[in-house]
Amino acid sequence: MEKESVTVVSDAAVGEADVQTAPPKKRINKAKLQENLWGWAFVALLLIGTTVFVYISFIMSVMLSFSDYDNMSRGTTFWEALGTINRDGFFANYKIMFEEDIMGSGGQQAAVWGTLLTTVIYLIGIPIGMVLSLFFSVLMTRDIKFSGGFRVIYYIPTVSSTVSIALMWANLFGGGGLVENVFGISFIEGATAGWQRAAVLILTVWKGLGGTIVLLVAGLNGVNESHVEAADIDGANAWQIFWRIKMPQIYPTIFYVIVTSVIGGMQIYAEPALIFGDWGSTEAGKNVQVTPFVGYIYGTYNADGDRAYASALGIVLAIIIFALTLIQFALDSKKEK
Amino acid sequence: MTEVINQNIPSEAGETQELNKFQKALQAFCGWFGYGIYGRNSSKKRKKIFFDIITYIILLAGAFTMVYPLWWMFAASFATNDMVLLETVWWPSSTVSEVFSAFYNYSESFTVLDRMWNVELSLLRSILNTLIYSLVPVTIGVIVSAAAAFAFAKLDFKGKNFVFFYCLAAIMVPFPSIMIAQYCFYDSLNWVDGPLAMIIPGCFGAILTAFFIRQYLYGLPTAIIEAAKIDGAGYWRIFWTFIIPLAKPAIMAQFILSFMGSWNNFLAPQLFVRANEWKPLTIAVSEISSSGKINPQPITMAASVIAIVPILVLFAIFQKTIIGSIMMTGSKE
Repeated sequence: MEKESVTVVSDAAVGEADVQTAPPKKRINKAKLQENLWGWAFVALLLIGTTVFVYISFIMSVMLSFSDYDNMSRGTTFWEALGTINRDGFFANYKIMFEEDIMGSGGQQAAVWGTLLTTVIYLIGIPIGMVLSLFFSVLMTRDIKFSGGFRVIYYIPTVSSTVSIALMWANLFGGGGLVENVFGISFIEGATAGWQRAAVLILTVWKGLGGTIVLLVAGLNGVNESHVEAADIDGANAWQIFWRIKMPQIYPTIFYVIVTSVIGGMQIYAEPALIFGDWGSTEAGKNVQVTPFVGYIYGTYNADGDRAYASALGIVLAIIIFALTLIQFALDSKKEK
Repeated sequence: MTEVINQNIPSEAGETQELNKFQKALQAFCGWFGYGIYGRNSSKKRKKIFFDIITYIILLAGAFTMVYPLWWMFAASFATNDMVLLETVWWPSSTVSEVFSAFYNYSESFTVLDRMWNVELSLLRSILNTLIYSLVPVTIGVIVSAAAAFAFAKLDFKGKNFVFFYCLAAIMVPFPSIMIAQYCFYDSLNWVDGPLAMIIPGCFGAILTAFFIRQYLYGLPTAIIEAAKIDGAGYWRIFWTFIIPLAKPAIMAQFILSFMGSWNNFLAPQLFVRANEWKPLTIAVSEISSSGKINPQPITMAASVIAIVPILVLFAIFQKTIIGSIMMTGSKE
């Protein structure tokens, strides 16, 4: 179909090209040139910003990860350090992630993989939140009054400041706090790692619910009404209508939510850091089981000042997030087949 | 009666010839509410009312879960000490107002921070810093992004697609993986001792903001721009007099979203702001709490309330715009 139209047009295009070689070309070019110039002018700042603060920063981060620049190397400036290579070899900072620490103080390997596992465990909140928000958004799209009001109320935790929410959580779920009094479960002080992680999971699900609900309600409202009616007339029940008619139509929204929340979830930092303290700030803070990967990056930098190693960890995080996103898109394209 | 039912469900016909009393009652019960195939005396209206009531109950329970912790935080900020705070359910058993003035914890959170930071009026200062960090870069950044969005959506220039995808690919780089390099970079420019590291990068706009404004501009007719061009208006004038007012809903939405993002930002200022007098509110609140829990927790809760109230007020005023813009970002993939 497309090829056909191209062949038809190509004849006309040849004719047009002949005409365009005539004088008018110059005038068009002037307008064209102006549009070109203005186009570049309008995108210039964004382009510079993206280049400097993302791409060049990323390249610097990669270069830094091969160096051994830390707080100790006071003599060398950052710019000098960029070109250097770690005296233990090019990939020294990456190698330690896979080696047990010789000094026997916990070991980098245990910390890297432990914090990564913790981050992945925190991702469990995504499917839980997805199911809950699907449930609530289906209820909200029923023909009831105040559904808009409910949507606003459910969105309140999402807009609230993470710092305030996390500190409140630490008190609410903390030792002797309300949750322990009501449910008899100790979540934070003296609790097992499982319950401590559960406290963070509940927090992230609670905080993220509103945003997902708003997106899903928008998706459900956009479902083609005539399809639903047709299914209803054919005798499908509400359950079937939901799974067969509505679900495929809101699938893009669900996919969008999952992709963005996996990317965001891998970068979780503030909630665990505020509830359990920074990695490395105290001895108790060196808890692999509650500190997420970003907490480890920040902690390594903050406590040890090892900028090169922290950059290497950052690059690993970027690769993991990129891989996860690719996998999700691959699964998505497979499903469409 | 049973025969009719058996006809309806042939698969079960073999094993359950006679339904016992309980099953019959259950069927009648479900049927009355219009559920299932058994209800011959069911009505759609009754079914709807029944499920509406259930819906309201669930939604109210959910709404309670959403709001209660915030109420608890507010109530706890009036507690006298840690013990009272922990036992608080609806309202602390003894509030500071019985001993001191009602807002003792709030005033205390100011003085505590002053002592910690050696900065006068430190909490007010941090609120001002937060305002600077959220207003200046966000305002400039959104306008810069809108300009880029205008070029992406309505202008035709060489390399447009390349620039667009080049910028869009930047969202694949997560902030934590470049933050250390950025810190060293800003440090070498002497930005981290002042506010500049929090202000300048934001002024260059954000590709996601530009992306959503571009999506919005696509939906607008091009005729008005063509008409303006014929009338001799330059691109700059077209942008300021036509595009900004036309794309105002999208620009406002992105402004509010970025503003709230900056207001709640925690990791970046923790890294990029070294001087106490330039730290924003989120850092102030987290340092009042501090992992060692030096200060009484009611004071922390008071500081948390201070941090959360402006954003909730903003949300209350602009909730339609905010919810609408979130919906917009989702549906436009």
